[in-house]
Amino acid sequence: MSPEIIQPPEWAWYYIAVYFFVAGTSAGAYFIGAMEELFGSGREREVSRAACYIAFPLLILVPIPLIADLGRPERFWHLFIYNQGGYPYLNLISPMSVGSWVLLIFSVCTLLSFLDNLVADRVISFPLFSRYYNRIPRRLYAVFGSLAGFFIAGYTGVLLNVTASPFWAATSPFMGALFIVSGASTGAAAISLYLIWRRRNSGGEVERLEAFDRVVMVSELVLIALLLILAGRTALPLMTLPFVAMFWLGTVALGIVAPLWFKYRFRRHPFGDAPVLAHYLCILAGGLLLRISLLQAGQL
Amino acid sequence: MAKGMFVDTTICTGCKACQVACKQWNGLSAEPAHFGKRPGVPYPVADNFTGDSYDNTGTLSATDWRHVRFIEQIDESRREKRWLFSSDSCKHCSDAGCLNACPTKAIVRTDLGNVVVQQETCIGCKFCIPSCPYGVISFSEETGTAHKCTLCNDRIHNGLGTACAKACPTGSIRFGELADLKKRADARLAQLKGKGEQARIYGYEEADGLNVFYLFADRPKVYGQPEDPVVPQRRLVLCSLVTILTALGVGAAALVSFRERLNGRDEEENHES
Ligand code: SF4
Ligand code: SF4
Repeated sequence: MSPEIIQPPEWAWYYIAVYFFVAGTSAGAYFIGAMEELFGSGREREVSRAACYIAFPLLILVPIPLIADLGRPERFWHLFIYNQGGYPYLNLISPMSVGSWVLLIFSVCTLLSFLDNLVADRVISFPLFSRYYNRIPRRLYAVFGSLAGFFIAGYTGVLLNVTASPFWAATSPFMGALFIVSGASTGAAAISLYLIWRRRNSGGEVERLEAFDRVVMVSELVLIALLLILAGRTALPLMTLPFVAMFWLGTVALGIVAPLWFKYRFRRHPFGDAPVLAHYLCILAGGLLLRISLLQAGQL
Repeated sequence: MAKGMFVDTTICTGCKACQVACKQWNGLSAEPAHFGKRPGVPYPVADNFTGDSYDNTGTLSATDWRHVRFIEQIDESRREKRWLFSSDSCKHCSDAGCLNACPTKAIVRTDLGNVVVQQETCIGCKFCIPSCPYGVISFSEETGTAHKCTLCNDRIHNGLGTACAKACPTGSIRFGELADLKKRADARLAQLKGKGEQARIYGYEEADGLNVFYLFADRPKVYGQPEDPVVPQRRLVLCSLVTILTALGVGAAALVSFRERLNGRDEEENHES
């Protein structure tokens, strides 16, 4: 393939990479919460509650960058309705089309879970929810929402992989996998930060979340290595200046390796609040820099 | 009844009549020169023009739907030289990456097989741009939408040929029925091969066949075309599978980490015994 002729879409990183990150974190948090909801004990619900309180507020931010990056923002509804026929439109082989619809489904699930938790915590009262809140519906949102969440966390990677841009094409088929894993890790970090903020970051649940996060972060490193091997020469931009700082220092060193070392080193010893807080923030920043680097390296 | 074009680059003289005709018929503005400073050059240089070749635009763009490429081949000793031309445009692929990618149905194929961007539907998401394996489709800041050659959609649906083919004085660009064009191309290829010349058709197999195809005297790369174009959506199934498997993996990791209910029960049972 002759790389010089493929035109880059010139998606603005401050819209699109930020969207990838926010949606990935929201989705990651939600499916962790849903897993806890489905497989954890009913007694402790701190993690799933935190997940619901994070997923929805993050998700309402999402349409802003997505619509702002369009050439014709006022026409964004064409994503759902074919403007010339007036009927709903879905293009099954376009990740952007399917993604828009799933984003809609995911928003509904996160909203329902959000309301459900507000009712459970007696912040608001809503008879329909109060009557059923502890029964089937919560599980139902968790099942549908976590499926949609996995999709949202991963499809953005698939979307990049199915273009002709040399770097994105060469990293096929692993970009989606990497984005899911990274979403899980930033989602877990977001949940932990929320728990610290609410002073509920102790107990068995938090330990289990940490154990999960360690596995996820190791897989993230493996996937990054795999991606770079596949990309070969097309990954050369990652060796140039802004990317060395963003990708190697930001994402790999400070965003994954350092926090991972911290997690292993201090997993038995309780550590002061500030370093713990800092390492979660590093994970989040690393996740954002990962999306920016991979987006921009494909658009040079 | 697909229509298309056959571009015989071996008889192109690089006159750019096609480029001008395309601009005129489709009302495409000329790109004004953008002057900038270049290090070491005391005067301002127009950096959106090549400036070192008869090739003025260098690429296709939202206002250049046709681009005549000038390829100067000079050997090391500077004794042998060859000048190649090729008039490039959208290939109207049978399996079009841009059309596959579009989430709004802005890109459609007409009954004549040409691929068109419906300007009133496009939202300017730009996903089609990296999805074209030939780097054809471009974004216009002015309209906020994607633009490319339409195969003169208005003309061909009214019984006319494309403006570029009409203007071409050497017959290098031919418009017509795909089947007829292929016959012509095969005959010309046989003629050149008979004379012992290097020649090849570009566009019979690529992307299930290109409705605009070429006769090249050298490797496609020389003409700025991908040697091995892949319709990017053909990777979709594999990418989706790997992503789903990863999701299952993460789900399993979560299951192992969070199945406190099972662990809890074990512990309780241990307690009782
Ligand atoms: S050459 Fe590119 S823009 Fe033209 S139909 Fe094929 S994929 Fe679309
Ligand atoms: S930019 Fe327009 S034509 Fe291209 S994929 Fe988006 S909506 Fe479709």
